[in-house]
Amino acid sequence: MSVTLRAILIVSSIISCILCIKKIKQAKLKVENAIVWMLGSFLLIFMSIFSGVVEWCATGLGFEAPVNFVFVIVIAFLLIEVYLNNLKITELNEKIKDIAHHIAINEHENDEEKEKNNG
Amino acid sequence: MKVLIIIPAYNEEKNIEKTVNDVVKNTSYDYVVVNDCSKDKTFEVCKKNGYNVLSLPVNYGLTSGIQLGMKYAYQNGYDIAIQFDGDGQHQASYLKDLVKEIEEGNANIAIGSRFVEEKKPFSMRMLGSRLISLAIKLTTFKRITDPTSGMRAYDRQAIEAFVSDASLTPEPDTLVYMLKKNMKVKEVQVEMKEREFGESYLSPLKSVKYMANMFFSIFLIRNLTRKKRVG
Repeated sequence: MSVTLRAILIVSSIISCILCIKKIKQAKLKVENAIVWMLGSFLLIFMSIFSGVVEWCATGLGFEAPVNFVFVIVIAFLLIEVYLNNLKITELNEKIKDIAHHIAINEHENDEEKEKNNG
Repeated sequence: MKVLIIIPAYNEEKNIEKTVNDVVKNTSYDYVVVNDCSKDKTFEVCKKNGYNVLSLPVNYGLTSGIQLGMKYAYQNGYDIAIQFDGDGQHQASYLKDLVKEIEEGNANIAIGSRFVEEKKPFSMRMLGSRLISLAIKLTTFKRITDPTSGMRAYDRQAIEAFVSDASLTPEPDTLVYMLKKNMKVKEVQVEMKEREFGESYLSPLKSVKYMANMFFSIFLIRNLTRKKRVG
């Protein structure tokens, strides 16, 4: 891996770590969600510093260039994140639906009670 | 048996009165209108007339409306729940035929079908219907002539399935699921009208999306439903 690439990876990882910490402090990101991004950043920093490991893995797995190995790791990481996010969205969607149903049934019961009391 | 008619309504201020009047006049069953957060005066019309109405605080689509109706039916101990369109296309006088099939134990789900005795016309819409029929036939070996009909009666077992499984929709793929679970589906000949007011939610793009969803669900999801063991 070229020195430039390694520098870019390290700098961007540090920036993303700082952003995560900032957002946690502002309560805009939960610790358990931020941890994934932090781990991802650490992984990138690790790969940048110990580029020998990356080169060894890349040659072993038959990649043409070590940088391709880095890209594969990053893409896999992102795909998993998107998938997990999708699960989360579906779960939230179901929860909101349940709440909406609950509200509708409750309001209906309240109305019935009111009518009973009035009649 | 206690029967509940579920009437999902979204922006049906012009049709809802006629529909409910039809239901009240031509049947002796209970009904509930599910107002899916309509933007027009559907809710006001219902309140003014003193209809039994469940009103959702956010718009969540037809599936959610039916699921809410099913929950209501389940909680209030109904034996049969009927899904009945609020747009004036369905005629309530046919509902007793559907209920009869379930009461006599001929079916767990009775569908009000336009094509039991009559021929299916050749139109783009019916092409979709034919394809879904074919998909159901291939997966369950059962002939359903009008799978997209929105007039369906479900017995207690099917109501319970709806309440416990949020992935079930009031669409044809659910029929495949129910058939795989060894429930009986029976079709009853009914007539349906064209809608008078408002617009149908089917646009060309939506139709394609709908068909893709149905095929995906029927072949890859519902088809793999674990069969209930007999005996």
